[in-house]
Amino acid sequence: MPTFQDKKIVFSTIILLFVFILLVKLFQLQIYERKKYRYFSDMNRIRRVRLLPTRGNIYDRNGNILVENQPSYSLFAVPFESKKEKIINLLTNILNDSTSLVRKKLTEARNPFTPIKIWPNLEFERLVQIEERKLELPGVYFKVEPKRNYPDTVNSAHLLGYLAEVSKNELEALKGEDILQGDIIGKKGIEKAYDKELRGSAGYNFIEVNAFGQEIEDKEFKGEGLPQPGRHLYLTLDLELQKLAENLFADKNGGAVFLDVRNGDVLVLCSKPDFDLNYFSGNIPQNIWNGLINDPSKPLFDRMIQGEFPPGSTFKLVMLAAALEEKTVNAQTTFTCNGYYRFGARVFDCWKKSGHGTVDLTDAIKMSCNVYMYNVSLNMDVDVWARYAKQLGFGKSTGIDLPGERSGNVPDKKYLDTVYKKTGWTKGMLLNLGIGQGDLLTTPIQMAQLAMIFANSGIYYKPHVVQRIVDSQSYEFFLHTATAQQAEGISEQTFSVLRNGMKLVVNGANGTGRACYLPNVVVAGKTGTAQNPHGDDHAWFIGFAPYENPQIAFCVFIENGGGGGAQAAPIARELLKKYFEQQQLFTNKIE
Amino acid sequence: MPAVNKIKIDWVIVICVFLLTLYGLIAIYSATYTSGPQTGTNYFAKQILWILIGFCLMFGILFIPPGWLRVSAYVLYGINLCLLIYLIILPNSGGPSRWIGFGSIQLQPSEFMKPVLVITLAAFLSSNKCSLRNVKDLLTAFVLTLLPFALVLKQPDLGTALTFLVLLIPMLYWKGLRLFVIFVICSPIITFLSSFNFWTFFFIIILICGILLLSRQRAVVFWSVFLLNIIVGIVAPYFWNHLHVYQQQRILNFLGIISDPKGAGYQIIQSKVAIGSGGLIGKGFLHGTQTQLSFLPAQHTDFIFSVLAEEWGFLGAFVILVTFLILLIRGISIASGAKTSFSGLLTAGLVTIFAFQVVVNIGMTLGIMPVTGMPLPFISYGGSSMLSGMIMTGLILNTSLQRYK
Repeated sequence: MPTFQDKKIVFSTIILLFVFILLVKLFQLQIYERKKYRYFSDMNRIRRVRLLPTRGNIYDRNGNILVENQPSYSLFAVPFESKKEKIINLLTNILNDSTSLVRKKLTEARNPFTPIKIWPNLEFERLVQIEERKLELPGVYFKVEPKRNYPDTVNSAHLLGYLAEVSKNELEALKGEDILQGDIIGKKGIEKAYDKELRGSAGYNFIEVNAFGQEIEDKEFKGEGLPQPGRHLYLTLDLELQKLAENLFADKNGGAVFLDVRNGDVLVLCSKPDFDLNYFSGNIPQNIWNGLINDPSKPLFDRMIQGEFPPGSTFKLVMLAAALEEKTVNAQTTFTCNGYYRFGARVFDCWKKSGHGTVDLTDAIKMSCNVYMYNVSLNMDVDVWARYAKQLGFGKSTGIDLPGERSGNVPDKKYLDTVYKKTGWTKGMLLNLGIGQGDLLTTPIQMAQLAMIFANSGIYYKPHVVQRIVDSQSYEFFLHTATAQQAEGISEQTFSVLRNGMKLVVNGANGTGRACYLPNVVVAGKTGTAQNPHGDDHAWFIGFAPYENPQIAFCVFIENGGGGGAQAAPIARELLKKYFEQQQLFTNKIE
Repeated sequence: MPAVNKIKIDWVIVICVFLLTLYGLIAIYSATYTSGPQTGTNYFAKQILWILIGFCLMFGILFIPPGWLRVSAYVLYGINLCLLIYLIILPNSGGPSRWIGFGSIQLQPSEFMKPVLVITLAAFLSSNKCSLRNVKDLLTAFVLTLLPFALVLKQPDLGTALTFLVLLIPMLYWKGLRLFVIFVICSPIITFLSSFNFWTFFFIIILICGILLLSRQRAVVFWSVFLLNIIVGIVAPYFWNHLHVYQQQRILNFLGIISDPKGAGYQIIQSKVAIGSGGLIGKGFLHGTQTQLSFLPAQHTDFIFSVLAEEWGFLGAFVILVTFLILLIRGISIASGAKTSFSGLLTAGLVTIFAFQVVVNIGMTLGIMPVTGMPLPFISYGGSSMLSGMIMTGLILNTSLQRYK
């Protein structure tokens, strides 16, 4: 039996042992690992906060606002406080969050103390409900964030583009630029092309926070620089013309491009159908997104710069330019049209079944005679034709300052041999290419550029939509400078003959483009009605005006719209009329 | 009746307790400093009040004759047990509560059960009839302990419940229980803990068999102890499932079975950061960033040691530990010199409670003990724990007083 003295020693030893263990652990934390824990404690309380810049505005050429920022309320939550069943349920209820977005965001959050955005673009009435029940929602708060706003003037969804959260691939591509996960960047159109200018640069501040991520009252700026707001863009676009174009195409698939031939300014760039940009400034509802991607009329597809279509008769100008340069025809060369052309065993039709009779080159343009073109094409080599087409800007993108432009397709002998392995290239194919059919594909912007080349008799400018980039603080600006280019290998004489033909298309008797006739301005143009395997013919009308000292070149395109002269030309007329009215060249006597 | 100035009070213990309450006041002032003077409870002023009441209680208890305590032990035990049962069957609130309201103040019966249980066990074990050779008596001691243990566990308050369980063993040892019997009692607990993992369970069973064989016990003893452990190992998961999820999480996290820095581990991480960043001399009074920016959980109650260690550094923490150490060693000395078996058992039990609370609480803030929700005696904010601590000190002083009579 141990004595009480022994028991005292056993007790004391055990107590001493435990206290010694505590002291060793204290020594380890406070002396040995002191630096590590000091660092942790500093990291705990000092938070580097990114201050996002305001994005630049977008204006038209006359300073009318197209895209601006407006405050929107975003809901944030600190997961450590808010990741509780009761709170999540209440939020889901108030927000009518059928897809459990809040739950997902809160459970996926990595750092429990970093506030996360759980709901962007909160409606005001919901915000009020949340504020009312603030006591039941610890850790939940809202922040005012700028959101893109589109004044109710034009939609121009394809041109302006929209913003969305940066994707993983984009993040990879933008390495080195100050873009972080969760940032909003331009995804389409101008917002994408000029994202860097519009974006501005973020600033950083250091703030002291408590365990709930709440800032300690201290407004003093101690950071690495204030955010630099993005620059404003002034477009070459003319708001009034763009609005009119959008109205004219409201119920059509297609669009219009109007270029200032003196510098390449894009005055109108309208592609329909499109989508409501306001859907993209917040959380896009799933059903609307599905509707957009499944819509057979492809509203997400910019027909003007991404659409590749057979150009039809408008492309006769290219074949004739090649033939004139190669001297296989001249302005006086005549051929007889009986409404069809027999080539070997095949019969190639003219659009006019009764035939045009004996026509010269100018008449052929004016009346868009196919048989004349078949005769011209027979004496042409396909590679020579392709070379001229490329010199006139086809087969490559125009280089317009918008993302996603396509380059179309100009087939040459090699291409046709590859595609048609069995037969290879045949002369019959060239007959089709000569009238703008076959494997030839062009974009409407390329066709507008062709019109500009004819307007300036060979000189053209790269089409561009941004005219000025203005610093929103210093008002310094960068002005777009147009550099003239020359369509090589085509003489003044050739242009003169073809331009005359284009004038007669609109102004001459029996001209296919008479629907575009304006009494006080001489408009020159060329119609096109392109057959295609996807349905009704595409209606084209390209041209320029005035005939002398041209100011404007255009391309009007209606997908499956029917005849170019009947459908596309009247639209061009409306827009030209508006343009010249604005130029005050016209009086009220116009009609 | 001896004059007060002739009474030999053990001033070492009184001074230690006084110093500890002082450390506590400094820490509570700092921990609740950011709350602002006008908003919420004024913890500092309330704690001063509790300390004053506590010292009055302590000196009051000094004069209670031990015999009187011995007699009234079962009555106190019965009353306290009723209060605990009342808390369980309390009709109004959503679940069991820890607190009982007396007017405007709220008290925790479980805190007062600590000294009452010690008194009761001391009274029982020191009675002439009681013999440790009698299994019935041993079982009675266990039942006396397990009743409040079960009731408090149901509240749920794992920390306090474990205190009851832990104080029994040293008291039995003090009474004269053989180390082998203590092993037999302790082995199911170890088996229980090891049963979470089959291989550790397997290893512990082998170890227990080894000790049983080496101590050359009779076959009937060997097999009963062996089977007891096997059954515990199988039943353990059933008990496990009756723990609260947060308790399971805390224990699992402590055992390193799951690692969840957001949940149970968060408190430990922030506490370790606070203590570690304090360094040798600390960040200074009211300058602990972890404390002032509310990164510490329960910083004026369970994690108050972290506040002191952050602001006063290793030196401050050392002073606190040494103060506790003096208090405990002094308490054991008093126990070993006690005049009666009752007083010795009583003091040994009370010292065990203090020691257990200090080690588990500080160990918890240092990340080497599970977060069980246990206050640090005399330092943590809280009326019940302060009063209970003062009562226990009074009982120890009472024993020391008897020594000199």
